[in-house]
Parts: sequence; structure tokens; C-alpha cells
Amino acid sequence: MQRDVKIETLIVMSMCVFGALAVTAFVVPFEDDNTRIFFVGLAAVLVSINVAGFFTVWKASPTIIDEIFLMTPDGRLLKHYTRRLKPDQDDDILAGMLTAVQNFIKESFEEAGGKLKEIRFENYDIFISHSKSIVIAAIISTKKPEKLRTQMRLVTEDLEKHFGHKLTNWAGDKSDLVGVDIIMKKLLAGKYR
Amino acid sequence: MELKELLKKVVLLGDGAVGKTSLTARYVVNKFDDKYIATIGTKVSKKDMQLTKPNLIINLRMMIWDILGQKEYSKIRTASLSGAQGVILVGDLARPETVKSLEAFWIPEIEAAVGKVPTVLVGNKCDLADKGSMAITVLESIGQNLGYPTFLASAKTGENVENAFATLGEMLVAEVVASRPKGAEELPQTLSEAVDFIIQDFCAQYGDLEKAMLIVQHQFEEAAVDIRKPSKDAVLQALEGLAKAEELSLTKTVAAVNLEERQRMVILAKG
Repeated sequence: MQRDVKIETLIVMSMCVFGALAVTAFVVPFEDDNTRIFFVGLAAVLVSINVAGFFTVWKASPTIIDEIFLMTPDGRLLKHYTRRLKPDQDDDILAGMLTAVQNFIKESFEEAGGKLKEIRFENYDIFISHSKSIVIAAIISTKKPEKLRTQMRLVTEDLEKHFGHKLTNWAGDKSDLVGVDIIMKKLLAGKYR
Repeated sequence: MELKELLKKVVLLGDGAVGKTSLTARYVVNKFDDKYIATIGTKVSKKDMQLTKPNLIINLRMMIWDILGQKEYSKIRTASLSGAQGVILVGDLARPETVKSLEAFWIPEIEAAVGKVPTVLVGNKCDLADKGSMAITVLESIGQNLGYPTFLASAKTGENVENAFATLGEMLVAEVVASRPKGAEELPQTLSEAVDFIIQDFCAQYGDLEKAMLIVQHQFEEAAVDIRKPSKDAVLQALEGLAKAEELSLTKTVAAVNLEERQRMVILAKG
């Protein structure tokens, strides 16, 4: 319920409450200063509550994921989910090239060890989560990805648990992936656990 | 009629400048510039094929990895080879040393990285080579020794390019076809069994179980199919609706084949 409230609505509400009380405090001719101070104090308290509420909702709101690529570590695209239609984009080839780029970076910085976890390009961030037989790459154009990182790790672990045995030495039969959509759509909606 | 969707990774290998990229360009959908081979060592392309087998249609998607041919870049190559399920080995018939290196260098390299996988040998630039040349003899002898199909092709004229990829495609699906149960297919006996079979078959081919069930439910309601005691007429009417849905999700051909198969099943069912 809390997540359904838009940030813009809260900002407008805060401004309205502050405005109404400020007008009341300064424009209305109160008989004594105590009443005026009371109204100013009330305005400050209500605005603080609104700001705190705004911050809580903002923190709890999910990061909007533009696209998710679910791939095998060798670069085959298992599933692709997107919020926008991109007719010029070939998802299979993009997934392959993304893997090729990861291979290139991994080999170029071999001494550092590990795997590529993030790519930044202008307004786009690509977060990559790996397990033994699954790679998830999420493209986002909004900030605040801390929760997304955790969720992607959880999804990767869960997919590995459920589908890992099928995807190790995967023969390429897409019917092995029944049920993946349920998990991935939760991630896309920012509601994974 | 069962429909399978297969996704396979295929790697093109061979010495530098033997024509791997040109062969790929002849055959596939490209979305990225060739410069990526020089910059990151790899370029990925894809090709879809449809293979029809008895009671089985296979939609095969080959992801074709064109990898830098310079032998020195072994680490990038090994990483790109990972998970390869098929290989096209290319030699230049105008340069016999590139054909010899298939056996001396590339085949051991592949076997070390991914083991034995379906492989075809391609002698490119056959338009420049004389019949019975040393390079052709060597290539055919390698193919014969290892049991690999061998093609004399030309990316320039297009000769045998399609054949080489198509043969590899057949080899890639051979395992799937062989693993299917042999002998007479057990067909449902009663109308209820036939309906159950059709629902399962429709859902499996549709992919998204949830959506598929909604479509089945809708079409059965439209045709007034009583699932506990179905009538042949009502089921046949529902099949038409399911076929229309499959025309959108699969292809018209597959939908028509499925419809015919299911109609036959319903007509022959007892009850």
C-alpha cells in the first residue's frame, strides 16, 4: 500500500500543508504571540512528518528496471524482459555480445580476478549477477540500486537452486525453463522477497 | 506434432583471414559491425532454422560466435569457446597452411576446451582453388579421418555456405531426435484422454502455462465443452479456436499441422 503512493503526491501534500499553516500563522491576526507560535510549531511538525513519510516511501519504493537479460554464462539468452519495445535491438545477439564484452574485460584484467558486476553508460547502469549456470543483467535508468543488487543476488541464487541442474551442460531446450517467468516477473516488479 | 525450440551456440574457428566473417555474413543476421572482432575478439550473430522430423518440428536458433583467428589470443578464445555445442572449422583453400593448421592446432584446441562436439570442415575460397589441389586433398583427408562432414565453399559466390550451416544444424538436433521414444506413439483412447492430451500439448507448445490455460479455458467455454463429459462436436469447435491462438503464438503452418493432428485424435477417440 505504502509503495503505491507517488512521490510527487507526497511533495504536493507537504507543500499544501505547509502553505496552509504558514498562511494561517502569518496572515490571520492572532490576538497573542503564543497562538501564532503554536501554529508555526504545528506547521513545522506536520511538515517534518511529511518529509519523513516522503523519505520512507522513497526508500521503500522499488528501483525501476528497464530490461532484464537472463543468460547462460556462455552467452545464450534464456529470457528477456523489457518495459519498452526496441524493434532495432536483437536481444539474442545483444546477450551474446554482452557476454563477449565480459570475457574480454575478465581476460584483460585477469590479475584482479572475479567477474564484471557493473557497467555504466550515461544514464544507464547495467548490473550483472552471476552464479554457476546463470547470469542476470539488469538495465536501469533510475538511481538507488542498493535493493536491486540484493534482489538480483537472491533471484540468481533461487534460479540456480531450481534450474541449475538443468542448465549445467544445457542442451538448449527452452522447455526446461517453465516457471522462470514467475520469479523474473517478481524481480521486474521490484517485489522479490 | 510436437514443437521444440532449441538454442545452440556455434563457434567459427580457423586461422586469421580465412574468411570466417565473410562466411557468416553470407548466412546470418548481423547487428554489430565487424570491427568488434578486432576490438574485443568476438562477434556474435544468429540464424534461425526450422527442421521437420517425424512428429516433431524443431525451431533451431544458432548463436554463431565468430572468433578472432590469431592463435596468440588463447585466453579470449577459450572464454568464447566455453559452452560451444557446435563448431565450424574454416580453412583457406588458397593457403594450404591454414588447412593443415585445422588438424595441427584448431582441433586439439577445441577438444581441450569443450571436448568432442558436432563439427563441420569448410574449405573457403573454393572459387580460387584448383580441383585436386593439395589444400583440398588435405581437408578431405582430415574430414574422412575424423568423420567430419567437409564442404568446399565460397563466401564470395555463396557456394555450399548454406549447406555447411544446414548440415551442422542437422547434427545439432540429431541428439534430440534420437532421444525421442521410438516405436508407435501411444495415442489417447477415449475422448476425455484426447482432450487431456490436447490441453497438455497446447500448453507445452505455447510456453507460458498460465496464459495457455486461460486460452484453453476461454475456447472451451466458447465452444461449450463440458470437460467432465465432452462431446466431439464441441471439442472440434474448440480446436479451431486453439488453432487461431497458435497462429499468433507459433506459425500458421504449425497451427495447421497441430489442428489436423488433434482433429484426427478427437475423431478416432472412443466415446
